[in-house]
Amino acid sequence: MNAETTAAVSRTAGLAGKYLTFALADEEYGLPVLKVREIIKMMDITEVPQVPAHVKGVLNLRGKVIPVIDLRLKFGFAHGDVTPRTCIIVVEVVLSSGPVMMGIIVDHVSEVLNLAAEEIEDTPEFGDRVCTDYMKGVAKVKGTVKILLDLDRVLGTEDAALRAA
Amino acid sequence: MSIEENVVTDNELAFLRDDPEMADLFLAESLDHLGTIEAALLALDERPGDTTLLNDIFRPFHTIKGNAGALGVTSVQEVAHRVENLLDLARSGRHAMGPADVDVVLRAVDLLSSMMRDIGARLKGQPPTDLEPAAQSLIEVVERCISGQGEAPSPAVAPPVHAGAKADAKTTTETASIKVDTRKLDSLVDAVGELIIVQSLIQEDPALATRIDSRLAGNLGQLKRITADLQRSAMALRMVPIRQAFQKVSRIVRDLSRKAGKSVELVLSGEDTELDRKVVEEITDPLMHMVRNSLDHGIEPSAARAAAGKRQQARLALSAYHQGGHIVIEIADDGKGLDTEKIKSKAIERGLIAPGATPSVEEIHLMIFQAGFSTADKVTEISGRGVGMDVVRRNIDALRGSIAIASEPGKGTTFQIKLPLTLAVLDGLIVGVGKERFVMPTTAVRESLRPQPGQVHNVQGEPRLVQVRDCLLPLVALGEMFRLPHQGDPSRATVVVIEDGGSRVGLVVDALLGKQEVVIKSLGETFGAVRGVAGGAILGDGRVGLILDAHGIVALGRGGERRAA
Repeated sequence: MNAETTAAVSRTAGLAGKYLTFALADEEYGLPVLKVREIIKMMDITEVPQVPAHVKGVLNLRGKVIPVIDLRLKFGFAHGDVTPRTCIIVVEVVLSSGPVMMGIIVDHVSEVLNLAAEEIEDTPEFGDRVCTDYMKGVAKVKGTVKILLDLDRVLGTEDAALRAA
Repeated sequence: MSIEENVVTDNELAFLRDDPEMADLFLAESLDHLGTIEAALLALDERPGDTTLLNDIFRPFHTIKGNAGALGVTSVQEVAHRVENLLDLARSGRHAMGPADVDVVLRAVDLLSSMMRDIGARLKGQPPTDLEPAAQSLIEVVERCISGQGEAPSPAVAPPVHAGAKADAKTTTETASIKVDTRKLDSLVDAVGELIIVQSLIQEDPALATRIDSRLAGNLGQLKRITADLQRSAMALRMVPIRQAFQKVSRIVRDLSRKAGKSVELVLSGEDTELDRKVVEEITDPLMHMVRNSLDHGIEPSAARAAAGKRQQARLALSAYHQGGHIVIEIADDGKGLDTEKIKSKAIERGLIAPGATPSVEEIHLMIFQAGFSTADKVTEISGRGVGMDVVRRNIDALRGSIAIASEPGKGTTFQIKLPLTLAVLDGLIVGVGKERFVMPTTAVRESLRPQPGQVHNVQGEPRLVQVRDCLLPLVALGEMFRLPHQGDPSRATVVVIEDGGSRVGLVVDALLGKQEVVIKSLGETFGAVRGVAGGAILGDGRVGLILDAHGIVALGRGGERRAA
């Protein structure tokens, strides 16, 4: 192992751990399981007026009213039809105001992966065309690439965008 | 010097800073104790020398001193210690607590409360308030009391009464209580709300409805009763007696009547009436404002009272009672009453009444709630600047309450405040647009109607006005405002007339779906302020319904921001 690889591994060492992976369009994403509170099937969502299209509205999670984000629309994918596999991942993110529960709609959840530091690489440089702010890194597992999300960032921008709206 | 002092104060808070939980507990507990002390002091004023009361004052002081010492908050410890010395002498019968001594201890209570708040602020990184001079001067006064050179000797004080002789029964009826984080309470209330929804879903499940089984029906009935009981208990957890607010008022009456040289008897009733803790907190300031006002403007000086053939000692009655899902708080004085003519001329002068208009007496009286309105000829230390009553009105509006005045010249004035028992629950009218449902607070709803064809008038080709009897009201279509995929047939729409701050608009919806008490939930900071929406509520079927904000909708209908969303 040369010096360069060692340095790369130590940089991603903090990212090693368990990830919940899910599909969005044809891509695979992962988020740290510690952020996940529960996974629920698609349910009735109440729309809230005057908000961006990817904010689907609010739902009742056993007595708590939580906002729901359509991750497909958020990332600029085409609108996806609701299938029996569509589900909502309830996550706890830390926003400027403190920890908040939110739901994110994904096409389907795949599995929980235990990722070692060696399997994770830094976010590649894409130049200006791709915004990589909310990527923590990418993981190569069994020949596929999974994009690891920094949820606080993904949904944190939500916070600002909504308030500006 | 100032740098040195900063270092000292920082050292003082070192412990508390390390343990924020302990700090919260210390501050909350101390403020609680100070409240107990204040109540006992006010009682002591009436029964000087009552050793039970003296003990009730001494013990919490001792606890505060001990806690402050253990946590290294030396400034608090020092003040509490000196006052404790004085109280100890009184307790052992070596010093008689006269009104002057009670004043001193009350001052100490105020100072310690300020110190606690200051510590809280400092822990949050805010700049400290310099309370050192106040503490020093208080300590001097306390020392003077101890050495027997009190500010005013008090020969009228009775010698210490033996404990137990006429001891107040009230002190022994205190119920045991524990402190609970409100977030835990909220999550309990949430869970109970869900339980009720699931219970009703099961009860109305078609699969069960087809089964005729008396045992099942009995069990389901039992489940329903228990869940309803549970809901009542859960809601009751947030309720506290209004006593705390009344106590603050007693204090202010005592201080102000002395300052103004008026003799006032304060009569309290219904201190045990329970309401939401939040409402108690929010109503305290308005109450104090109003009592201050009554003392200054309502109640005449003793000489004037004697001239009018009234009892010299004025009477101020403060009462609270429940009335149909609301709590009513009354402040009644037997002073000179409102000067209707004076208010009227002042209102005309300020352009609040159009010349030639003939407002009713009640309408004129309500003018005193206008901003900057004052008929006082002189500005006193207590009031007369015309700020206050408008703030009172705003605070009460914010609590979704109302206020009424009954005043009779020469006999006195009664203010009646009506408030909801809790801010957590709202009585709502459920309205539907397309397949969406919304909750409109019933307090804002005046009436609803199915407009006849001739009643709706077009402006620029769109239905924009509705005639309700003699009034033309602007129409706001909810579906349009929220850009819903509106499918309703406009000719079959229903108009709900809503009112806010005196202006009314007609809100166009597809249907009225019923009335429901809903628990108000915030949509969370994520959404910030959405115009026209005040929050969310969980409806009977478990879905979230948005609570409409009457204020925003009326502003939208009346103002130039139409369709600015």
